[in-house]
Amino acid sequence: MATSTINTGSLLAIDIGTASTRALLFDVVSGHYRFLASGTAPSTVVAPFFNVGEGVRRAIDNLAKATGRRLIGSDENLIMPGLADNSGVDALVATMSAGKPLKVVAVGLLEDITLASARHLAATTYAQVVDVIKLNDRRQTSDRINTIMQIRPDLVIVAGGTDDGASQSVLDLIEAIGLASYLSPETQSPHILFAGNQEIQTEVRSVLEGVGKLHIAPNIRPTLNLETISPAQRELTAIYKRVRNAQIGGIGDLLSWSGDNLTPTAVAFSRVIRFLSKKYDPDKGVLGVDVGSQSTTVAAAFDGKETLRVYPYLGVGTGSVRTLQKSKLDGIIRWLPFDTSNDAVQDYIYNKEIHPHSLPVTRKELAIEQALARQALLLAVRRSLPDFPAGSARPAPDLLPWVEPIIATGSVFSKAPSPGQALLMLLDGIQPTGVTTIVVDQNNLSSALGAAARINPLLTVQVIESSTFLNLGTIIAPVGYARFGTPILRVRMTNRAGVETTRKVRYGMIEVLPVKMGEKVKLHLRPLHQFDVGMGGPGKAGEVTAVGGAAGIVIDARGRPLRLSQDPKRRKHLTRKWYHALEAKG
Amino acid sequence: MLAPVKHISPLTLIQRERVLPIPGRVVARQGQAVSPTDVIAEYVLAPKYFILDIAEGLNVAPDKADKLLQCHKGDNVSKGDVVAGPAGLFQRVVRAPFSGQVKLAGDGKMLIEAFVSPVELRAGLDGTVTRIIPDWGVIIETRGALLQGVWGNGKMTYGLMQLLLESPDDELRAGQIDISVRGTIGVGGYCRDPQVLQNAAKAPVKGLILGSMSADLLPIAAKLPFPVMILDGFGQMPMNSAAYKLLNTTTKDRNVSLHAQAYQASKGERPEIVITLPVPEHIEVLLEADEFAAGQKVYLVNKSYSAQTGIIKRILSKPFKFPSGIIALAAEVSLENDELVKVPLACLESFGEKTSQETY
Repeated sequence: MATSTINTGSLLAIDIGTASTRALLFDVVSGHYRFLASGTAPSTVVAPFFNVGEGVRRAIDNLAKATGRRLIGSDENLIMPGLADNSGVDALVATMSAGKPLKVVAVGLLEDITLASARHLAATTYAQVVDVIKLNDRRQTSDRINTIMQIRPDLVIVAGGTDDGASQSVLDLIEAIGLASYLSPETQSPHILFAGNQEIQTEVRSVLEGVGKLHIAPNIRPTLNLETISPAQRELTAIYKRVRNAQIGGIGDLLSWSGDNLTPTAVAFSRVIRFLSKKYDPDKGVLGVDVGSQSTTVAAAFDGKETLRVYPYLGVGTGSVRTLQKSKLDGIIRWLPFDTSNDAVQDYIYNKEIHPHSLPVTRKELAIEQALARQALLLAVRRSLPDFPAGSARPAPDLLPWVEPIIATGSVFSKAPSPGQALLMLLDGIQPTGVTTIVVDQNNLSSALGAAARINPLLTVQVIESSTFLNLGTIIAPVGYARFGTPILRVRMTNRAGVETTRKVRYGMIEVLPVKMGEKVKLHLRPLHQFDVGMGGPGKAGEVTAVGGAAGIVIDARGRPLRLSQDPKRRKHLTRKWYHALEAKG
Repeated sequence: MLAPVKHISPLTLIQRERVLPIPGRVVARQGQAVSPTDVIAEYVLAPKYFILDIAEGLNVAPDKADKLLQCHKGDNVSKGDVVAGPAGLFQRVVRAPFSGQVKLAGDGKMLIEAFVSPVELRAGLDGTVTRIIPDWGVIIETRGALLQGVWGNGKMTYGLMQLLLESPDDELRAGQIDISVRGTIGVGGYCRDPQVLQNAAKAPVKGLILGSMSADLLPIAAKLPFPVMILDGFGQMPMNSAAYKLLNTTTKDRNVSLHAQAYQASKGERPEIVITLPVPEHIEVLLEADEFAAGQKVYLVNKSYSAQTGIIKRILSKPFKFPSGIIALAAEVSLENDELVKVPLACLESFGEKTSQETY
């Protein structure tokens, strides 16, 4: 589809999630693109429909009801382009996260180098590496074939050999891939993405072309010290579309309507984060997190360089039991502000996986679901930290780099009963450092905007600038450790009228500065005891302009990384205290 | 709004698609009467391959080895058959290490696919094969009672059922599992004691149907050699009244097909019990997809509602705020004790019975 920077048409974005399918309408209002409305329906990827079409149709119908705009014509097709009577839309883009993660076999020479890059590539979409083949793999070729035939992967990613580097070793590794592809029936033959030594492309083609669905991408590890994922990621997205089209009914129609513009939700989300990183402070990165029913996505970008990690089966619905298994029960229970039995929490999470669409009815149930979200987020962010660019400034290697803003999406945040609850989940799970802003994508627009950027970048820019995200507040999170109750930060706040207030913040507390939504204030921050607020080093003071959000301006003085008390009684007491500090405002 | 469906019906037409995960061979015939344990199709899950290094075996160069091949692509070989040679002074030969088929031969190597026993797919219920799906499986039809659950350990059986509960909220105790339940499918309420499962394995029972179970016991239940099915969920809750009534009346002392397959929403597969009954020729099929509507019989899934059932009185016109603070589309449901409760639509499942009421 042609890319245009000036496109005044309306746009319909379809997002197919594990639980819900959403139709989002964007159009020009008073000369600027705006988000108009959304329609939601349960996703119909699974039984009894096995076709995304029914969910898409219902979501569009609900959108049409909400807007009064006719979107489906008498021929039962989407009206596109839009008509003079304001019916229909001019373009459609689609994003998708539903469906089982792609089963991937990663092939590379060395575990820490090319194989790591192959894993990183797989982690940029909804995929799970189920086996690896590497140089020091002791299995014989026939055993490798048997493994592949048993796993029946959707995709084999072959990395290996820097450019001008190893060649025969790579060709030896792919022998089993070629034979397994040859032996597989056409419908079960995996896609093979070769993203290794470009010098042996011809040999790779001669081995794999004709026996498998071969795709060639630029080397993801052209030199030992350089990883370049993006070009291969585009090819991976194309493969994702083909696999989903073969697996799920109705995708073909969606591809046809959208002019092949179907993007994995995480990739589209990452595109928005990359865009924002170019817009904001180049010294800091931008972080995006998306906690879904089945998976959690972490997207970070530092001056246009992105890191995208998708964690399938780390979610709060269909992924809830796996989240529990990866965390152990204590990892969930530690976030709860009340006494409960281990069995009750475990049983709730298992029931949630059976009924992923169900909603928490009581406060205790809500607290368990929010604890699950915190833990999914914490695990995802922690696992992503080593993959952020080496040059990204951060207070310590095991802490989050300085980022601003942080964008959070997912219904666990957007449907939280109060902004304070959403914010506390994000503070606990992400543990931001220094001064930042946390916003919630309350209408879950990010991925749609990322997908739209390909055909209408102006729309993406203008909608992002139209306050569509809910600013939860400016966050000040001093880094360091002290005894509980020790003063660690002096804050002097000056409002627009010039009125000054000062506050001494003690370690272990969350304090809220009562600043109204959108109100700008000047903050003079003086960290004590060598705490670091990102003003140039530990103990350094500085001044920032901060904007009040839905939860005001929040000082999270609990230290980094956050250490919860080992004493359950004290931990619950503090958890309640933090909750009330934010809930009172939020 | 679309409603998920859970079937609990004393009398219905049941059609089940039984298909292989990958293409294979269908052995059942159209019109064939099948019992739950009858094999209806089979497939080779993962063929075993072996690469023979012919050149090394004959101690010759690969191109020479190719000229000494006795078998070629497509040939079947038996274990011990000479596949290449003889060569050299000592008349070296290479023999097939197992029975199979030659898939490739050349460059001094031979790839053989071993013959392996196929995996069998069983009918899972009493009924008649009404349609063959070539290479994939069959559709089986029967009439009777149908009861779906939420968890199964992947096994199936057929046998006489024995009730081990007197009321829906009874807990199944280890002492109840003795020699008297041997060879039957035991039906209990809530289970939290691992000894219950151990006694069931010792008896042994033919199967176990539980109203609910502590999630702690899942690792044990998953490994039991007989089918275990959970009807309502994890943690203590009474067995849903519709299931209790059905098991206590319609199906008492009857043979049942217990298909404790894993619950896979993505495939539309739920663990289920089917009791074939002599019923009239014309009987309605339950809906597989439904829409929420007033007058509809529903099942409440959230544990707070303890697996109760009720009738939707009305769908609320505006989203409702629940004690958790969550605001959601909701329905007013009349429970069996006539209590009216507001429930998020997301916490309801339809029984899939046809209703003439207006949908929402």
